[in-house]
Amino acid sequence: MFLMIHMGIGKVWKLLLLKDIEPGASQDWLTSLGALGERIRDVFEKSPTLIVALYTVIFYSIITLMVLTVFILLNRRKMEKTQVLEDELNEKYQGLLVDYFFRKDIADKVEKELKRIANSEFNRGILINQIIDMSVNMQDKEKAQLKDLYIKLGLKEDSLKKVYSKKWHENIKGFRELAFMNIREANERIIKLLNSPNRILRMEAQIALVRLSDENPYKFLDFLDQPLSVWEQITIHELLIQHNLSAPDFSQWLKSSNLTIVRFSLQMIARFNQTAALPGVLSLLKHDDDTVRKEAIRTCGELGQKEALPVLSEIYYDEEHQNKEEVLKAFGKVPDATYLEFLNGVLDAEDDVRLQILATKAMENLDEPGVARLIKLMKSKSEYKNYRIIIRHVLDRRIY
Amino acid sequence: MDWIVQIIGGLAEQIVFIITIIIFTSYLFLMIFSAIALRIYLRKNSYVDYNTIIASPAVPTVSVIAPAFNESASIVESIRTLLSLYYRNLEIIIVNDGSTDDTLQKIIDTYEMEKVNYYFDYRLPCERIRGVYKSNSRSFKKLILVDKRNGGKADALNAGLNVTANDLVVTVDADSIVEKDALLKMVKPFLEEKEEKVVATGGVIRIANSCEISGGQIKKIHLPKKFLPRVQVLEYTRAFLIGRMAWSALDGLMLISGALGMFDREILVRAGGYSTKTVGEDMEIVVRIRRYMSERKRKYRVQYIPDPLCWTEVPADIKNLAKQRSRWTRGTMETLWTHRKLFFNPKYGTLGILGYSFWFFFEWLAPLVEFFGILFFIFLTITGKLNTPFFFLLLGFVYFFAVSLSIWAVFFEEITFHKYEKRRDVIKLIITAFLEPIFFHPLVMLMNVKGNIDKIFNKKEWGSMKRHGFSENKKPGSTVKSKKVE
Repeated sequence: MFLMIHMGIGKVWKLLLLKDIEPGASQDWLTSLGALGERIRDVFEKSPTLIVALYTVIFYSIITLMVLTVFILLNRRKMEKTQVLEDELNEKYQGLLVDYFFRKDIADKVEKELKRIANSEFNRGILINQIIDMSVNMQDKEKAQLKDLYIKLGLKEDSLKKVYSKKWHENIKGFRELAFMNIREANERIIKLLNSPNRILRMEAQIALVRLSDENPYKFLDFLDQPLSVWEQITIHELLIQHNLSAPDFSQWLKSSNLTIVRFSLQMIARFNQTAALPGVLSLLKHDDDTVRKEAIRTCGELGQKEALPVLSEIYYDEEHQNKEEVLKAFGKVPDATYLEFLNGVLDAEDDVRLQILATKAMENLDEPGVARLIKLMKSKSEYKNYRIIIRHVLDRRIY
Repeated sequence: MDWIVQIIGGLAEQIVFIITIIIFTSYLFLMIFSAIALRIYLRKNSYVDYNTIIASPAVPTVSVIAPAFNESASIVESIRTLLSLYYRNLEIIIVNDGSTDDTLQKIIDTYEMEKVNYYFDYRLPCERIRGVYKSNSRSFKKLILVDKRNGGKADALNAGLNVTANDLVVTVDADSIVEKDALLKMVKPFLEEKEEKVVATGGVIRIANSCEISGGQIKKIHLPKKFLPRVQVLEYTRAFLIGRMAWSALDGLMLISGALGMFDREILVRAGGYSTKTVGEDMEIVVRIRRYMSERKRKYRVQYIPDPLCWTEVPADIKNLAKQRSRWTRGTMETLWTHRKLFFNPKYGTLGILGYSFWFFFEWLAPLVEFFGILFFIFLTITGKLNTPFFFLLLGFVYFFAVSLSIWAVFFEEITFHKYEKRRDVIKLIITAFLEPIFFHPLVMLMNVKGNIDKIFNKKEWGSMKRHGFSENKKPGSTVKSKKVE
């Protein structure tokens, strides 16, 4: 096949050169082109345009695969070298940083050595990552020491450079490094990027400012018009926990028109146990949006306040399946024997396995009165419901 | 007679030629879309710290459902791998699909399982569940074993879905090796959802033949020694890094590999769960979920992740490869037929106009056209009517374009995840790209044709292959993947 293709290429090459055009024939380019077309038509019995197109694709395919092969092989060599260097640096940095903390007598020497090794952007990038990884599990005092080292080694300049880079993903890396080290020099630039057309960049700038700004860092929640994804919510929460930041009063956003912010605030109210926000949470149990209601129900359960139970029992039968589940889970978390009849009623009324299990579990959590009722139900012979199976599931400790 | 041959010949030539051009142009566009999507993905993930979600209680609850049928050789190791996945709110459900060997007993003995009083309903129809087991040991607290009558892979998955109430489900082949951080990467699109609901995510499946495996994890990655698995590495790289990546970007993805996929449980159940009527249940469920969402006019997304998340063993001999490809073809045909309403239907957006049509013309029809093209070539050669120069020129065009496409795939792999560390492996892969169109492609084409014939004769065999299992103490001959015993 290769031979045949080669012969084909040879033919076209010959045609292109018009080698065997008779001597004395007209040599102007139009005539030559016409003759070429005729020759192609003669050989392939196809349109010359088609044949030239096919040859062009073959030609470009061959060139492409040759160039790519060379690139792949060269790049492979470079990658191997980079990997070796990265492994070496990681090992060195780890050892030096440990020495820096635990051998005070040679701290200055270590610092000099770190400075010597971190002589390129690549080397410093790896050192920044090492410092951040290390400081995650450190106490405030050690974190402050690492921050000093980070500044002394000139790593701050690298992070600032990233913040001012034209590449958005580099900007985000810079935000994160500065936020981690609590360095506020680039705040102006970060604030400017709050107006970036890039949605991801905008959001990451907001999140960085939660750590880096003292002036109401959560202000962006007041006017954020795009949804706040769960990923972003988790990042903000982690930032609060990791850096021991004081949580704002999240009830101020319970009336936000951005429903993702309302849901986030409900979650945070639960996480930071902001019980004072309960009235606001209760008002959301009748919200138009079912996902908001779901989160509000869940928050009621997490806050463990009995004031929520009358409203929860009231809304139960009007709720959709998932929210019913949450109501029953809330009753399980806030045991109150007053609601034994309500839970028994749910168990009787519901055909869904999940709801039956949750109602039974909530009854069991009521301790003595609940368990006594379950035993009674187990002994009873209902025509339409096998309480025995449901209750045995709930009482089987191996399942949970 | 001559003029009839001439007309048919001219027509066939035109059809083959046009289809070739359309296929290649499509691949060219897919490559461009894939390159753009890969670039965005890599940039977006260059600053991501997955540790954030490892610790967070806000992550959704996940159930991994792994059907197992006669997997005695590897099941203990497979479960160990699944138990070591990084994720906070996780449960592992192993569904013993009526194994006839000692799979069930091995799990019970190794993981100290005990039958519990589990209450569930048959929300999705499946064969009778004989019992649900939990472990006495706290170390295996997140493990659930479901023992049921044999019903096939889809049936076993439905049984698992009946038992779980978690937010997301991950369906996995019990014989696959899932990367430890796979769930973190798969859950991320669900956490990032904004206006569009994320209904499913899938990732790259890699080939584990010849790799060094220890403790249920890939320790050293090698390119398969045998040609057949090696050429499939190339095929998978092309399919996953170019095809699926681009289709995901174009919102036309129709398939999440059965080896590993994550779904919104509620949507999966509401769409009707897995179909037991097809051998291509992984493709069918994605198309059905997409239809379900489109018909309810809900904004949704099926997200594909280019990270290598899962490793699986591929057929190393022609017999098993033929079985697998026949099943794939039958699965494709069944899904295309079941969801024929999508064909060029603008109501379903890109899926109807592009995704479905691509599968119809290029995944199902193209091998048939190619096969008849070859038959016709033979006929023309015998009758002396073959335009030899043009034929070979066309062949050269197809060959070099195909090779360059494969090299592009190797290039994409190289600049993204470069899992093969040795330079020798990459060189071998490049050489394989040159050999594939000559030795492998015609074989696969014939297997596809056989799949069509099998479908016509209503063959329903699942076509599972004999495997050796991934555990270090390799025991040959275990038949894996849940299959319906006819």
